[in-house]
Parts: sequence; structure tokens; C-alpha cells
Amino acid sequence: MKQLTFLIIFIIVATACKEVFDIPPQSRLKATLVNAVTKKDTTYVITIKPIGHDSLFYNKERSGSFILPFSPGESTSFQITFDSVIDTITFFHKTTTQYESMESGFYYEYKLKQIKSTLHKVSSIQITDSLINSTLHENIKVYIRPLSSGSN
Amino acid sequence: MKILKFTFVLCLLAVISYGQKEPHKKIKPKRTDNYIRMKGIRIGADLTRPFQDLWTKGNRYGTEFSADMELWPNLFPVFESGLDFMKLNTDYVNYKSSGSYSRIGIDYNILQAENTNDKNIFYLGMRYGFSLAKQQVNSYKIDSYWQPETGSFGNQNYGAHWAEFLIGMKGEIIKNIYMGWTLRGKILVSKKDLGMPPVFFVPGYGKATHGFNADFSYSIFYNLPWDFRKSIDRKKAAVNEAKAKTTEKQKSGGTKPANKK
Repeated sequence: MKQLTFLIIFIIVATACKEVFDIPPQSRLKATLVNAVTKKDTTYVITIKPIGHDSLFYNKERSGSFILPFSPGESTSFQITFDSVIDTITFFHKTTTQYESMESGFYYEYKLKQIKSTLHKVSSIQITDSLINSTLHENIKVYIRPLSSGSN
Repeated sequence: MKILKFTFVLCLLAVISYGQKEPHKKIKPKRTDNYIRMKGIRIGADLTRPFQDLWTKGNRYGTEFSADMELWPNLFPVFESGLDFMKLNTDYVNYKSSGSYSRIGIDYNILQAENTNDKNIFYLGMRYGFSLAKQQVNSYKIDSYWQPETGSFGNQNYGAHWAEFLIGMKGEIIKNIYMGWTLRGKILVSKKDLGMPPVFFVPGYGKATHGFNADFSYSIFYNLPWDFRKSIDRKKAAVNEAKAKTTEKQKSGGTKPANKK
């Protein structure tokens, strides 16, 4: 009787777990903010609006880094506000479909080809790793002009 | 000095006596059941294959049949063949795979029989398995902050090979009807590299992403009561008898005196 109960419990648990699938991963770019003069990591109040998308991705958040979602196309543009100064950054990338598993599905992986940016608050952008994959890691360093440096 | 001499001699004696000690041999008792108990071919159907869906992720169904015979005492060459289907329908992927597989191998019975009517076996076995299959991703969806993208992959044909090690038992429940279980460990030897998407499921083996798969099966068997050895012996005897008769005739023909001119 004890064994039968154990068997029934085992079957119920096995059946309950069998249709639980992981969601596919997502590849996102990670940027670190660096003071262009001191070359030290710094924090800013940032607002990010993807161009072509209605909602804000970041809304007045103080942070020393940010992550960005790329579109499946060949380029993705963002309007980024650093302490109320707006810059527009466009990323040109190669998009490839990657296989995670048949249970969780497919995802996109990106290879950064070029970055173009307005230089109001942004001083320069350095690519540290051009491969944007499902493991979140630093891909670019954004050098920001300090307040005293003025704007371009 | 005397004490030292005495100690040395004592040690030497101890070493010599140790060296002369007979090595402790393990005597393995010889099997007394070196005879064939199961005459004829045993055919079987795996009862677990149609219910794999209960413990497999996705929907997996199949059928499997087997045939084995005691060709030599306690050695059973085995042939197994089946069909396997796999469907997976999640929020992100709609996948299906189907194919056939076969295994050939041998089982060795380690259970000594008490008498000639004792046909129960507890065995260790090995198999070589191969499969021919096809898979298709009917649709997939990639979730994105921007908008979900969808796509599909066409039909892909592939093959795979694997090895199996197993342990199991078969017991005669009523005359010529057997039931038995096996526990299997499967090691993937090779599979076709399809590129994108790679092989996910191998019929008869399981998930291709795993280099090792474990499996359990429970089967029912029927031993066809046809003693092929007896009929072979009968045929041999008939042939020998015919040969003997021919030789006798030739001999009796040969004794006739030849007319010499």
C-alpha cells in the first residue's frame, strides 16, 4: 500500500513537471558609464527611449551602467538623456538566430559593427566586446563629459 | 650479538614462510546449466513505449517489438525494432520528429537454472542501436522588446548511432508466455550534424542533446514453440541416411566382377 501511494505521488509529480519549459534567453548590450576626464566609472540620471518604440526603457534612473535591447534588424537607435542632456546613439549590428534548446526555443545574437552618436554629453564610445550574447557582460564604455566640460 | 643473529634468523624464516604461502585462489564454481532451456524464438512487445508521454517532456509515443533466442547456452542474440514519435508544443516552439530504429545485441543470463524447466533469466546485455528519422520546426517565436518575430525550419532527415548496456530479467509466467523488465544506459556514438536547428530527438535513444540517456522498459513475450534444432537435426539425419544409402548402393554395384578381355 505504501509503495502504491509512493508510485501514485511519483506519477503525479512527474506529470506536473513535464510541461514546464524554460523561456528563451535574450541578448542585451551592456554599457558602462565612464568620466571622460578622470577615466573613472561614474553614475548619471539616465532616461532611455528606443527610437521607433513608444515606451521608455529607463526613466530617470541613477546608474553607472545600462542595458539596451536590440531590434532584429541591422541597426537600433536610442535617445539617451544624461542629466537632462540628450544624445542619440545608433548601433549598427549583424543579427543571427541562435538555438538555445528545442524546449526553450531560439534567440538573437548580435555582432556590433559600428556605433554612431551625437556628442553633446557623450565624449566617445569604446567597444570592449562586439559580441552581444545571452550572457550579460560589458560591451561598450560610454565616456561622458563632466559638467565643467560643457557641451558640444 | 647473539640476540641480533637470532632476530635476523627469525626474520628470514618469517620471510621464507611468507613466500612459501600458497596464493589464495578464488575458486569459481562452474556452471552446471550449460544446456539450452528455451527452444525456439521468443517475440516480444514493449508495453511502456506507448506510455512514454507520461514521463517525457513533450508528447512522445512509440511501439517496439523484439525477437531473441537461446542460440548457445545462456546466450541470447537479440533484435529489437520500433517506431518513435516526438511532438513539442510550447509558447515558443512547435516541433515534431518521427522515425524508426533498430538494435542488435546479445544478453547473457547470469541466473543459474535449478532444472531444465526453469526458464527464468536475469541477464546483462549490450546493444548497438541505429535510427533513421526526420524533424521539423513548424514554427518558432523569438520574444523581443520590439516585437516578437516568428519563423520556421523545413524538414530535416538524419541518422544516429548509439550503444546500450542493460540489465534485466524475464520470467515465464505461464507456459511460453514471459514478462520482464530492463534498465538501460544509452551512450550516443554519433549523430548527423544538421546545422540549424541541430538534432533534438533520436528515435529509440531520446534527447540527442544528452550524451547519456537512461531508460526503463517492461515487455511481454511469447516463445514460439518451434524447436528449430530438432528439425535441423532431422534434416541432417535424413541427408546422412540418403548419403549412406547411396554409398551402400555404389558399394554393392562396385562388387560386381568386371569382365576383362
